[in-house]
Amino acid sequence: MEKNTLNVEKNSGERQVAERTRDRRTCIPRVDIYETGNDIVILADMPEADEKSVTLNLDKDVLTIEASIEEEHMGGHTAFYSEYGLGDYYRAFTVSDAIDREKIEARMKDGVLRVVLPKAGPAKARKISVNAG
Amino acid sequence: MTMRNMTPWKWGRSRVVPAAREATERYLEPLHYAMNELFREFTRSAFPGFGEEQGTFYPDVNMTEDEREVKVTAELPGMDENDIEISLTDETLTIKGEKKTEREEKGKESYYMERTFGSFQRVLPLSGRIDATKADATFKKGVLSITLPKLEAGKAESKKIRIKTT
Repeated sequence: MEKNTLNVEKNSGERQVAERTRDRRTCIPRVDIYETGNDIVILADMPEADEKSVTLNLDKDVLTIEASIEEEHMGGHTAFYSEYGLGDYYRAFTVSDAIDREKIEARMKDGVLRVVLPKAGPAKARKISVNAG
Repeated sequence: MTMRNMTPWKWGRSRVVPAAREATERYLEPLHYAMNELFREFTRSAFPGFGEEQGTFYPDVNMTEDEREVKVTAELPGMDENDIEISLTDETLTIKGEKKTEREEKGKESYYMERTFGSFQRVLPLSGRIDATKADATFKKGVLSITLPKLEAGKAESKKIRIKTT
């Protein structure tokens, strides 16, 4: 991968434009990122999320993954042992021009989000004509 | 439940860690998480490769109950339900399986590897008698939910013990 083709934002909070309106815990999904001949692939573990609750947004050069997870309906149950808490998901990545932004695809299966970012073809050399005047 | 199941850490291939029966205070949860992440980061950076080949995947589990049933949920994103095995004894619920890596692609080069894979086993202690014949499990959105109905007899069985006077 060319340097800076895809960067994981360390301090994802700073790039957020709008303040979050939901009073919910936000989890950072764990991701794997790898490159194949044609694509860069992001895999994100987001248990409890499905294709309806996940939103992908590409704003300028920032790709954000978000999911709203509804509060669990306890139905009179009391928790007596708890290792994880439910929360929304949020994570941001910086995408360079080496990615074909029009062709980004995403798929959700068994709580894992798979985002495929196709690499853009080599930038075509273009002659720029100089006009008189 | 055997004594082995009660040891908090088992250094080796099959990690058998029972859940302690205590309510984690809600405000402590983020701290708990942050500490776990810190240790994970530390062991990864200080001892590269440590634990990796053993499969560090370790699903998180929540347990709730009411007077009728116990509900156990485990986060198993990316797993296939055929790779999950659930067994029940009078005192324990065991969830084990193997989370396999995605199909390897040719010429694949990894840049970020935060997700974990491998074999795991969780042994959870149960209180009260469970009607094993009515136990039920579903796997949806990467979350395993197990419902364990309590037996009539076990619902509120406590026996007073008299203290003898000499």
